Amino acid sequence: MLLKWFIDHQWKQATRSPIFQKNLIVNIFLGLIVLLLFLEFLVGGIYLGNKWHEIFPDVHPVTKFNSFLLYYFAFDLILRFMIQTLPVLKIQPYLHLPIRKSSIIHYLLSKAFLNVFNFLPLLIFIPIAVFQIATNYSVQQAWVWIVSVLFVVLSMNYLMVYIKKQLVAKPSIVGIFGLVMLALALLDRFGVFAISDISALIFDAIILNQELILIPILLFGFVYFVNFSFLKNKMYPEEIQIRKSRKLDSISDFKYLKTLGQTGEMIGLDLKLIWRHKRTKSIVYMTPLFLLYGFIFYPNPEFKDFFSFKIFVGWFVTGGMMLNYLNYAFSYESNYFDAILAHNIDMHRYFRMKLTMGILISTFCYVITIPYVYYGLDILLINSSMFLYNIGLLSFILLYMATFNKNRMDLSKGAAFNYQGMGASNWLAMIPAMLLPILLYHLFKAFDLPMFGVAVNGLLGIIGLMFSKSIMEILVRQFDKRKYIMADGFRKR
Amino acid sequence: MIDIKNITKVYNGVTVLNIPELKIIKGESFGLVGNNGAGKTTLFRCVLDLIRPNSGEIISDGHAVSKTAAWKSFTGSYLDEGFVIDFLTPEEYFSFLANINGLSKDDLTEFLKDFEEFFNGEVLGKRKYIRDFSSGNQKKVGIAAALISKPDVLILDEPFNSLDPTTQIRLKNLLKKLDEETNTTMLISSHDLSHVTEVCKRIVVLHEGDVAHDIKTGKDTLKELEKHFAV
Repeated sequence: MLLKWFIDHQWKQATRSPIFQKNLIVNIFLGLIVLLLFLEFLVGGIYLGNKWHEIFPDVHPVTKFNSFLLYYFAFDLILRFMIQTLPVLKIQPYLHLPIRKSSIIHYLLSKAFLNVFNFLPLLIFIPIAVFQIATNYSVQQAWVWIVSVLFVVLSMNYLMVYIKKQLVAKPSIVGIFGLVMLALALLDRFGVFAISDISALIFDAIILNQELILIPILLFGFVYFVNFSFLKNKMYPEEIQIRKSRKLDSISDFKYLKTLGQTGEMIGLDLKLIWRHKRTKSIVYMTPLFLLYGFIFYPNPEFKDFFSFKIFVGWFVTGGMMLNYLNYAFSYESNYFDAILAHNIDMHRYFRMKLTMGILISTFCYVITIPYVYYGLDILLINSSMFLYNIGLLSFILLYMATFNKNRMDLSKGAAFNYQGMGASNWLAMIPAMLLPILLYHLFKAFDLPMFGVAVNGLLGIIGLMFSKSIMEILVRQFDKRKYIMADGFRKR
Repeated sequence: MIDIKNITKVYNGVTVLNIPELKIIKGESFGLVGNNGAGKTTLFRCVLDLIRPNSGEIISDGHAVSKTAAWKSFTGSYLDEGFVIDFLTPEEYFSFLANINGLSKDDLTEFLKDFEEFFNGEVLGKRKYIRDFSSGNQKKVGIAAALISKPDVLILDEPFNSLDPTTQIRLKNLLKKLDEETNTTMLISSHDLSHVTEVCKRIVVLHEGDVAHDIKTGKDTLKELEKHFAV
């Protein structure tokens, strides 16, 4: 009963980690959010599955859905590359024990099975199978379809495990893959070459010829076997670990920044910090998701006059990235926080540097998202106002709140679904960040001054910037008060 | 140079540090020994204003360390791996510190040249980040970094630990030279009694947070210390 021991050890490893124990409340909160997300997906999936044939009344609903599947799998692959983390069982302590290698590998691989990406799509696929395929064909065919699709999803899962272990897929390759998919989608859209037809053909064929279910199952078996034999031959700790790239990056020299003296040097340090750690780097990779967020809402006529929502989106696209940076301004540096304190670094400059970085990030996001003006001048106005609010008020609030986070942050893991090192203060910071502008807007709207409600946010930002010197003074004093507690927390590994 | 007055530190009701008075004069080489948990690192952290003592204060060259930051400009320190910025290469880290401390490029080149022997060809030009170095080589980086600003006060916690024998000897020579040729005040803790008696002219033994002995190093110091620790 080896498996029992493995699971037992994993469970203990998770629950005994100091982060889990310290942050029980945060964990419960997170659990609730995950549950909520799950329920939302479930309800959305059932709704979509139930009404699918009404969305595309002219075509066969199942064929239509099947035509999207290849696109979905391509998207799934890209998303997995960006945020799927490798399952790690600390295998070293087991290797010298009389345990068969293959048991360890099977366990390692079965851990990869428990990935949220493998189950979330089922919340949509199962309702489709129930409401569309079972009604249009037969229950048995619905089973065949759902099993086939599930095995393709699992194949994607293990393909990504293999690719990531091999490290053959560089971000640039994935970028090219994404561009190719985009090009194919465009060709499809203009009727030159239709991937969607091929997609529909493949998955319709499986429904009609049920013995074809073997193909996805064999595909899955093949990918699993490739993973297994790869790991079996590489069962040495130094080989199984992801080879660290020993190559240095090319950003090592900031000639321009050096001329700016200590502040420039500190900014250079922070840029390196971001670029040389997996967690911070993956946040950078997620930037497009933040910036493109507007496309989900702006084109939708339902949101045309939904101002408080536009305020939220404006806040998010111009300030979301900044929030990610400033909220963890100090915990990102938890690894060497003692050095920051003990070296001859002027704290006023240190804070100015953090603020400058935040403003630069927000400015970048603001400039990039100016084209949203295509969807209306009001959007540009709101975004400008929110941009000022973000850099002139929120930035200070975030830095203030950041002094309350004393959790050591491990930057060597990816960022997605990674809540290690997040404290209650980080969650608390989001409340004023999101709600304050909307509340202000509603306050003025109640007096029939909606546009003033938008402008007042920007005004607050300008006032904040005008008084930035005195606010900085308060922040540094706060930091001096909190630094012992922060340093103590950061030292706890 | 460094005045420790009435320092106490209490964790969970246990007093881990209790020093009514301790004066370290300018240019003194001060060794701190004691078993695990004796309070060595706690004392050094207090001196560097990294933890807040429950009572008392520490004055470094007239500056209360918890009130101003003026002492930082003349204090170099390396306590543990948390003192180096590990995602930089050693070269980047040194040039960062040079910039922070207002050293010129030539100063930096000269400084690194002085440390060539100490680095033993294992630190510079490796095209590796500090986090990828062995702990011994990381320590070399940290110790050199503490010395880059030519500090008046040097604080090292267990500097001999995890260094190879050759480097231990080189470090001893380096510290002795520093003691003889400059007026650097050195605070060095160690578990290795022979190393610390060789380098330091004054040894303080901490025992459960209290100063148990305060000895001027002489011929018999090592024997005396061994007697104290042989329980």
